[in-house]
Amino acid sequence: MKLTVTIAALALSVSQVFAADYPERSIFMVVPYAAGGPTDTIARLTADAMSKSLGQQIVVENVAGAGGTIGARRVAEAEPDGYTVLVHHIGMATAPALYRQLPYKPLEAFEPIGLVSDAPMTVIARSDFEPKTFEDLVAFIKQNGTNVTYAHAGLGAASHLCGTLFMSTIGTQMTTVPYKGNGPIMTDLIGKQIDMTCDQATNTVGPITQDQVKAYTITSEARADALPDLPTTAEAGLPSFKLGVWHGVYAPKGTPKEVIEKLTSALQAAMEDSTLKERFAQIATIPAAKDQATPEALHTKLDSEIKRWDPIIKAAGQFAD
Amino acid sequence: MTVDLISNLALGMSAAITPHNILFCFVGALLGTLVGVLPGIGPTATIAMLLPITLSLSPETSLIMLAGIYYGAQYGGSTTAILINLPGESSSAVTALDGYQMARQGRAGPALAAAALSSFFAGTIATVVVAALAPPLTSIALRFGSPEYFGLMVLGLAASIVLASGSVLKTIAMVSMGLIFGLVGTDINTGAMRFTLGRPELADGLNFVAVAVGIFGIAEILRNLETTIERTAVIKRVAGLWPSRADFKAMIAPACRGTALGSALGVLPGGGAILASFASYALEKKISKSPDRFGQGAIEGVAGPEAANNAGAQTSFIPMLTLGVPANPVMALMIGAMIIQGIVPGPQVATSQPVLFWGLIASMWIGNLLLVVLNLPLIGLWVRLLTVPYTVLFPAILAFASIGVYSVNSNTFDLYVMAAFGIFGYVLSKLEFEPAPMLLGFVLGPLLEEHLRRAMTISHGDVMIFLNRPISAGLLAVALAVLSIAFLPTIAKRRKEVFVEED
Amino acid sequence: MDTKNLTAACVLLSVGLGFGLTSFYGMNVGSALRMGPGYFPLVLSILIASIGAAIGIKALTVSMPFRPQVAPIRAVAAIIVAPILFGLTVRGLGFVPAVALTTLSAAMAAKGQRPLAALIIAVAITAFCLAVFYYGLGLPVRLVGPWIGV
Repeated sequence: MKLTVTIAALALSVSQVFAADYPERSIFMVVPYAAGGPTDTIARLTADAMSKSLGQQIVVENVAGAGGTIGARRVAEAEPDGYTVLVHHIGMATAPALYRQLPYKPLEAFEPIGLVSDAPMTVIARSDFEPKTFEDLVAFIKQNGTNVTYAHAGLGAASHLCGTLFMSTIGTQMTTVPYKGNGPIMTDLIGKQIDMTCDQATNTVGPITQDQVKAYTITSEARADALPDLPTTAEAGLPSFKLGVWHGVYAPKGTPKEVIEKLTSALQAAMEDSTLKERFAQIATIPAAKDQATPEALHTKLDSEIKRWDPIIKAAGQFAD
Repeated sequence: MTVDLISNLALGMSAAITPHNILFCFVGALLGTLVGVLPGIGPTATIAMLLPITLSLSPETSLIMLAGIYYGAQYGGSTTAILINLPGESSSAVTALDGYQMARQGRAGPALAAAALSSFFAGTIATVVVAALAPPLTSIALRFGSPEYFGLMVLGLAASIVLASGSVLKTIAMVSMGLIFGLVGTDINTGAMRFTLGRPELADGLNFVAVAVGIFGIAEILRNLETTIERTAVIKRVAGLWPSRADFKAMIAPACRGTALGSALGVLPGGGAILASFASYALEKKISKSPDRFGQGAIEGVAGPEAANNAGAQTSFIPMLTLGVPANPVMALMIGAMIIQGIVPGPQVATSQPVLFWGLIASMWIGNLLLVVLNLPLIGLWVRLLTVPYTVLFPAILAFASIGVYSVNSNTFDLYVMAAFGIFGYVLSKLEFEPAPMLLGFVLGPLLEEHLRRAMTISHGDVMIFLNRPISAGLLAVALAVLSIAFLPTIAKRRKEVFVEED
Repeated sequence: MDTKNLTAACVLLSVGLGFGLTSFYGMNVGSALRMGPGYFPLVLSILIASIGAAIGIKALTVSMPFRPQVAPIRAVAAIIVAPILFGLTVRGLGFVPAVALTTLSAAMAAKGQRPLAALIIAVAITAFCLAVFYYGLGLPVRLVGPWIGV
């Protein structure tokens, strides 16, 4: 115990001494999901853009498992020297409600650096599903209830959160069908094996524009450039049904202030990077505005999202452990 | 259709056969082979590690190079399976069965050549399949819902019982144990933790590479350490690098059948490709005139599964190319790479980016050609690795395997799993249990349960869903037939005995 | 008595009982029409345990000596400890010491291996791994970890 305290104190003092020269070596960016997924893609694009202004390479390290909590825990327990950072999505805010034995507290274990992105969700169904508009869909679900099958990619996934919110907003239960990941859902939806789902626009822009699936609504404030014909939930008459998959960058608690400032300004510069902007637009993801890519904005977002999802998830009575 | 096909392939060839692209395809295949040959590192880990290198290239070149890495890694994985009984992924577990036995008998050269040549043959045919039949095959794949997948998995498990050379009962026990180990982790339906012993690292299940390396590789090292080893190699004689005329004759038919099986099963996203090499092995053993040789170094047991594996690897591109949906983690990585390169994956790629699309398909074949050209001369080098003194070789294997297993998820817990399964595998081998059926069960367990329960959810608890749908009913019927054939030899033998006694 | 198959039966029975009892008592089993998380594992456990019982009963009726050749305990310990050592030290001590310790432990498994020879083997393999994995592949690891330096 004494030894750990000494080592921690030593590490802290050493890292403060070197904060002025930060970064001197490459930085590890932990992605708590497998390589190749949407979070990984967003992290790699951001890492690339951030390393331009930091002048050091940012190496993406995939630490997947347990709904992103293993990777997050790794960073929470890492040395607070700025050489280990975390990219995490909305799951950071829902983990406290889903995992009763979460080994870290999202608001206390990290220093927020800033928001990265926001991606709206789309409600989609198999191409021959009866309802024509979003209003029809709501009426159809209210009438048919559990005869409608709703697919989601596992507890805590964006599609699960969206479905839970949707069902609690319209006050009707559907039959939920869990999958492992979004890929198999899309295959089954295109193959007309299930009725509907709600997924990040990142994954659905392709199938929607190719008419392989039927789209009803997008859960953002404004219509997406990539899907100009798709009405928002507010336009479709259900304004309280609104959510997005947002990503943020975090450092372990106790990271020196100078280091956080450097990382924040690198993040803000990255959000202006032309390649990043172009790639984000192609997958219907909105890069964070300058006043959003800040520690304060991320802290506020995380806090409000934790408070928002806690009652919804608890009411659904679902836990991931 | 045919004219289109030829002009499309010509377009693809002209894109792929620029010196620049051939160079990167070659570099990808070479890097993939070299990394894949490191024990414990399969294609997924190889691609994830090499992904950053490709990102600075143009989209076409980068995807061509990634595809090269993929085939190279697959090939390298078979090489380690044959040489040191260390499969880096599920399909090369089958190659290890007879390939490693061949290597022990001093026939590592012919085994590696058989793997290379049948892979190349399968790759050539499968490239044509991808180019010509992608849309119709996709529409068949889309008819596979959970009931059909369940039928397919049951058929796969039934066929796996044929895999075993020992007791049928012990094989069924091993498959079941594999299935139950596969269930460790979060239950996707309820979120309940199963058999995780309170470790969050087990929430996503036991890591395949850790289990496979433990049960095959470490158990094998322990077996080799039973006898006093001098500063010599395990395999003393290495006779001939090239397959004999008889070997070639034995290879041809299994390679053809393996190609057909692999091409068909590879199209199915989510589990189809896993079955291909196991199915091919079971088929070859069943129709062989001398099934006893299987597991003792039968060249058919290398040629068939390797062809199936490579054909499946190729046709697993089909769902990605036609639907934009990844069939396996490798394809998910390719899709991630495409997005980072600014290409939105999906069916529109064929029309909006024809050069890229057909260039990629053409490069599949070029990649396979380069691999065979690259690997045939390398066989001599690989075989020479076996003459490294074992006292040096096995510590190196352990170091590589530890790094390889760790690199998959940067998870130290996987290393403890690997050690535990090493001991377990060693004990099982002493008790004459075979590890391959367990590995198949391990891979299929979660899929079997997932599809069974999903089918039951979708049908609202009606079991008839499996029989009302023609494909699933058909698959289950074939499974039943295969099972009865598996038990038939014992029945036949008993009847013979009875007959003898009466006589 | 057939000791080998009797041992095999014991392995199967303990796996079957272990997993079976955990699924029966620790999980919601449900029914065939509404399967809970424990249903599928329970069915499998029963199957494994019954096969174990069948093999065991048969083993009791026949007689067969069983003297397996077993690796010396030193070899087993050295091999199994190797990956565990890597896991325990790779994050704390860093990549280079972790690989060195792992190979050193493994190298000592060979009967009659002298410490000096094992050390030489360990150093050579560590250098090779450093070149291949760190410099060649850019594996995201730290060469020397926080336990030794910064």
